[in-house]
Amino acid sequence: MYTNNMSTVIVVKHNGRQPDRGLSVDVYYRLLEAGILALAGGEDIGRAWNRFLPAGTVGIKVNCLAKKFNSTPVALAEALVRHLTDHGRDANDIIVWERTGRELAAAGYTLNASANGLRCLGTDANGVGYGQELHSSGEVNSLVSRVLTDMVDGNINLPVLKDHSLAGMSGGMKNMYGAIHNPNKYHDGNCSPFCAQVNALEPIRTRYRLTITDAVRIQYNGGPGYVAQYMAYFGGVILSDDPVAADAIALRILKRLRADNGLPTLEEVGRPVRYLQAAEDLGLGKADPDEIVTKVLLVGEGGVAHAGGLF
Amino acid sequence: MKRRTFMRCIGCGAVATAVAQTELLPEFLGGMQNACAFDYSENLASVEARYYKKLDGGGVECQICPRHCMVTDLERGYCGTRENRDGTYYTLVYGKACALNIDPIEKKPLYHFHPGTTALSVATAGCNCNCKFCQNWDISQSRPEQTKNFDLSPDDMVEICRTRSVPNIAYTYSEPVIFYEYMYDTAKRAHEAGIKSVMITGGYIDDKPLAELLPHLDAVKVDLKGIREAYYRDVVGAKLQPVLDRLVQIRRAGVWLELVYLVVPTLNDSDAEFTDLARWIKANLGTDVPVHFSKFHPQYLLKNLPATPLATLERAYDVSRAEGLEYVYVGNVPGHRTESTFCPGCGEVVIERKGYRVRGINIDGNACRSCSRTIPGIF
Repeated sequence: MYTNNMSTVIVVKHNGRQPDRGLSVDVYYRLLEAGILALAGGEDIGRAWNRFLPAGTVGIKVNCLAKKFNSTPVALAEALVRHLTDHGRDANDIIVWERTGRELAAAGYTLNASANGLRCLGTDANGVGYGQELHSSGEVNSLVSRVLTDMVDGNINLPVLKDHSLAGMSGGMKNMYGAIHNPNKYHDGNCSPFCAQVNALEPIRTRYRLTITDAVRIQYNGGPGYVAQYMAYFGGVILSDDPVAADAIALRILKRLRADNGLPTLEEVGRPVRYLQAAEDLGLGKADPDEIVTKVLLVGEGGVAHAGGLF
Repeated sequence: MKRRTFMRCIGCGAVATAVAQTELLPEFLGGMQNACAFDYSENLASVEARYYKKLDGGGVECQICPRHCMVTDLERGYCGTRENRDGTYYTLVYGKACALNIDPIEKKPLYHFHPGTTALSVATAGCNCNCKFCQNWDISQSRPEQTKNFDLSPDDMVEICRTRSVPNIAYTYSEPVIFYEYMYDTAKRAHEAGIKSVMITGGYIDDKPLAELLPHLDAVKVDLKGIREAYYRDVVGAKLQPVLDRLVQIRRAGVWLELVYLVVPTLNDSDAEFTDLARWIKANLGTDVPVHFSKFHPQYLLKNLPATPLATLERAYDVSRAEGLEYVYVGNVPGHRTESTFCPGCGEVVIERKGYRVRGINIDGNACRSCSRTIPGIF
């Protein structure tokens, strides 16, 4: 969780030819390496990860609502797992998770709900489910996935950036709707302040460690499902230990893509992303870009370079 | 669950009348889990929903209840049981029961509808409200993949009623509006088989689906949760006016109607509210609609409040009677003197109850045996 007055967000873009499909595991691996080093401010990758992650078991919450075309890419999750195992974490201590196994499988993930090896499971897996304690924050009252409450010591939020028909944007904070048992109750009012309150639920807030948002191919309109005509290539990932700041920068990117493609603003279409300010008001992070240090890196064959700006 | 297996289990089982919870399904089977396989359904239903409008861009507008959820691809409505898949709206709970019991009809409560009979009581996961006092929130506030469901078709329910000599089916426990299609088909099939259907609901439904459903129902019990819009907004998560409109609609359609008002300490228990409630009922539904003032027990999101004092319930009773309502009951207080039905004409007991048990009926047809006054209801 962020603690400084200014929050830091790292945007790492692939500096190369746009791939026909998504980025490969190797490319994602290099993006993550540059990103986590920049975020941690050091040169040792293992130390960089460990600065944010706890000892014990780490969860990786992916977003697989929209099947293969608009979910957290398997290659990104695989690259992240590889990073963690390459730098000292046992695969037994990593859980890639989502709301249901069905959604994971539909997005291309291989399920493993056994006790051995890297686990990849839905909250609906045998023996998992939702905790029995009702957690409350503001108007939100929810049971929380036992992956968070009982199985992990810290969680990496690994969403995909996309337009959302009700919330305006789905990024890291909206992804945590997949951690509660009753997300359908919290979509009124552009999901605000509910989205902020969901992220303020005790198990979600205290397990949070990092947001790493996939922003390689961005659904800038028509989301959260896949609509081919509104998909744009951005080629990057967004990293931060501040969940609000990560989404605030993601929103800048989403808004720019909409403008570049001649679409009205989210405000004009009645979908302002209001939950970021609500989240800042709850002390979850920084929503104001002026209070966020944004570093943009380009990673290519020639190594890592600093970019002048986001676009 | 395979139908044949299920029927065999039912045939061997004992009647269970406990509160509906998913865990009680095997109990309904009479402890026969060891005698036959009991397989929960692994899949959600995919039956196209009724009452929705397709929108440009692949979205849909649900038109089953006043929320009118706008649902884009892969998303669900507020109830969590209806999903947009590529522009087609599906109910995920058709034939997927998560609670099943045989209850006394008095438990619904319906006091003027075939007293002393039983009802096969069924629910699926989900609800279109979020009442902070919900007593079945473990199923009503869940999505269907979070409850243990089993396959139970409308025909299965009719067959259970036949084999167990159960004259009624009650759609209850969660909110039957959200399993409308399942309820509709079952009620229609039940009528063909001479079995009656009763809907136990919050009444948060649009007029058109209700109008098409009512001919297949024999009674409706509506939880009128308050008489203030602010209470509906803050405690129920819905709007009051559509519920009031539906009450009038049900009454005009001639389907038997009873009301429950859950009295929640400090939130809806003022004399002014009791008075306004009684006056609205008198003006819009008539004085002969039974009204049950039920005792609240702290749970779900209102654990901070005490249970309703008996004196408060009796105050609600007194106010309503003073305003002219003729059939007023105090609910959830077993043994209370108002459990029985008294003839407004002669004051004699016409239906004597003890808890959920009916101990005597002193009515011929609809006439009080003592003074021949007509007692409203379906007897």
